[in-house]
Amino acid sequence: MLTWSVVLALAFGVYAQRAIGAVLIDTERVSDGLARVLSALPLAIITAVVALATFSTDGQLELDARAWGVAAAAVSAWRRLPMFATVIIAAAVTASIRAAGL
Amino acid sequence: MVKAKQLVEWALPSDTLFSRGEALTLGFAYFTIGFTVAVLHVTEGTSPLVMIGSVFLVNSVTPTLAFAAVTAAGGSTMSGIFSGWLVSSRFGLFAAAIAPRLWPSRAKRAVAAHAAFDPNVAMAQRETADSDARRVYVAASIWLCIPWWIGGSLGAVIGDRLGDANALGLDAVFPAALLAIIWPQLANRELLPIALIAAIVALALLEPSPGGVPVLVAACAALLAIRQPAEPVEAPI
Repeated sequence: MLTWSVVLALAFGVYAQRAIGAVLIDTERVSDGLARVLSALPLAIITAVVALATFSTDGQLELDARAWGVAAAAVSAWRRLPMFATVIIAAAVTASIRAAGL
Repeated sequence: MVKAKQLVEWALPSDTLFSRGEALTLGFAYFTIGFTVAVLHVTEGTSPLVMIGSVFLVNSVTPTLAFAAVTAAGGSTMSGIFSGWLVSSRFGLFAAAIAPRLWPSRAKRAVAAHAAFDPNVAMAQRETADSDARRVYVAASIWLCIPWWIGGSLGAVIGDRLGDANALGLDAVFPAALLAIIWPQLANRELLPIALIAAIVALALLEPSPGGVPVLVAACAALLAIRQPAEPVEAPI
């Protein structure tokens, strides 16, 4: 759940990175390798976050209905369905499997 | 007084590669993403006003989605915020790449930086002349930010009317939304191994290490990109 303090902390960090880039960094002095690493960084973090949010609860590994919901989301994204459809499918699959008590 | 003709020129700059079709696609995509993400956050318990504040202040969806995904799985508030900062690290580089082509004034650059996203920077960079790059950056930012602000605000208000949707498998929607965002990158043969290693490392470290550490160590998988050939990459939102 987002609160004002979380939003302000996120906004501060996100804007600081944008502003430092726009005002202080000289791109001529950033090597290609560093640029590639920085552009791959969000992907590594997002997949790590997705894995943890799918397969863990309170710091413990856990396999439950979420895994099926996220697997259905992967199929939906692969079939190039829009994001709105993807999240609805994920929620529906998770809820149905939970309701069925599997 | 600004004339209508001037407004059209700002939104669709003449003699550039930025087309009307691209403008509409960008606007539609960001409207629906903003709407979807705001509905998700509000149904999970975020107040609509905080959500609208987030739309304008954070001005990006991946940091709040990362925060919600981490904390919904039991991660601490600090590790959620830290993950949110890390996913937005790319914006600094995008802003640095485009800023020298925009305005010499640092104040103007600092304002333009708040709108630095992936597609508007990429579209501006296609232009050869700096003056055209600046016009396209302004136009693409208009087509991206305004629909995203409207979609996000609308989603915050409508999501609030949906009431308690806790039984609806909501813990799966944050990872699902993030997956939808990164999916185009997973098709890239150079990037897929980085993604897989990051996921496996994060899961392997979860139980033995304190909160926040698994994501931080998994981020190191990005170092594998250092030896790969430069290739245009479709980045997340």
